[in-house]
Amino acid sequence: MTLATSNFLVPNGTFIVVLLAFLVVLGVIGRFVLPRLNTVLTERQEQIRGELEAADRAKADAEEADTERRAMLEQARAQAREIVAHAQATADGIVTAAQAEGQAVHDRIVQAADAEVVIARQAAAEELTARVGEIVLAAAEQVIGREISADDHRDLIDQAIAAVRAESEGAATAGSARSSR
Amino acid sequence: MVGPTQLIGINISVGDHVTRKLGPLTVNMDIIWATVVAGLVVVTLGLVLRSRATSGVPGKFQLLWEFLVGAVQKQVDDSIGPRGAKVVPLALTLFVFIFTCNLFEVLAIGSKLEWLPAPTSDINLPLAMALTVIVLVHRAAIKNRGLAGYLKHYFAQPFPPKLFFINGFMNIIEELVRPVTLTLRLFGNLFAGGLMLSLLAALVIWKLGPAPIGAILSMPFTVVWKLFDMAIGAIQAFIFALLTILYFDTAMAPDEAH
Repeated sequence: MTLATSNFLVPNGTFIVVLLAFLVVLGVIGRFVLPRLNTVLTERQEQIRGELEAADRAKADAEEADTERRAMLEQARAQAREIVAHAQATADGIVTAAQAEGQAVHDRIVQAADAEVVIARQAAAEELTARVGEIVLAAAEQVIGREISADDHRDLIDQAIAAVRAESEGAATAGSARSSR
Repeated sequence: MVGPTQLIGINISVGDHVTRKLGPLTVNMDIIWATVVAGLVVVTLGLVLRSRATSGVPGKFQLLWEFLVGAVQKQVDDSIGPRGAKVVPLALTLFVFIFTCNLFEVLAIGSKLEWLPAPTSDINLPLAMALTVIVLVHRAAIKNRGLAGYLKHYFAQPFPPKLFFINGFMNIIEELVRPVTLTLRLFGNLFAGGLMLSLLAALVIWKLGPAPIGAILSMPFTVVWKLFDMAIGAIQAFIFALLTILYFDTAMAPDEAH
């Protein structure tokens, strides 16, 4: 081993040795280190991409579920509205039917009452006419002082009764027309 | 009285090495030793990364590597594009290896011989790397254009083909100058850095009477210079790697790009 001073700008045999050393370093980095690092970087890239995709999927799922939930809620609301409307309609129908029935019952009662009134009036009239004949005959007997045979004057009596009946029937018809109103 | 004038008289020699004869060749053992150490450092860092690299959460060590690779990758992508993928290992190795070598200058004390001199401050290693780059660049150019296209390329641009003589002259000069500038830029910066340390060390002998002015000044100057030198080392490593990428870019670019 010697100590030497040489022209520092002129390369010497060192060149070959350091060239080999550099090529070895280059080979190790290029063949063993960099590919490994690139693999790792690619793997990480894939992982991150996968995670982002999973996150996107989860988000889409959540959105879908939310949409579904909203749709169901809306459907439930619509159903509720329908049910309420239906119930309202039913209630209205019941009320209307009850009113109609009530009116019918009322009408029936009023009609029956009217009919009874007519019948009672007719009965009264019948009785009255029967009694009127007797009263007239009795009065006439007293006026003329002797017995009058009802059979002898049947024609006269019947005429008088018919006149009274016609009068009372006219009054009954007017009465029933007033009560049915 | 010892004055500043004596500084000028100091004999700072350059190009001193521990040498040995290998047949007809002389080798600088200190440079080889330092190169091997730098190479071992880089290879060890690389192999440690290889064994520890994880696709999960990376540690700081792995992040540093990933940052470096990412920076080189981006530079290559921006300049050459996807075709330049093969340049990445070369550019990355150049940067890391040169930067490691340059950092050895921090250990230097400015003596005639250093235990661990920066191997890039000797011309052999920069030249070896520059020639490796140039050879690979030309190989890439021949692969890209074919041998005929490669040769024709020297005469077809930058001027119209009529001026092929001037084109050829300019291009050949350029191609010859490239390895030289690549070598000398790196070597010169690191060599000058070492020389600066020697000058700062030599300052120690400056005394005013019994007052060791030079010794007192030498220390802060050396610290400041070494910090600066570390920045220079990083910048030179970056420039070497960047120029490598750019040379590959011109070699691999389609003809229309010129």
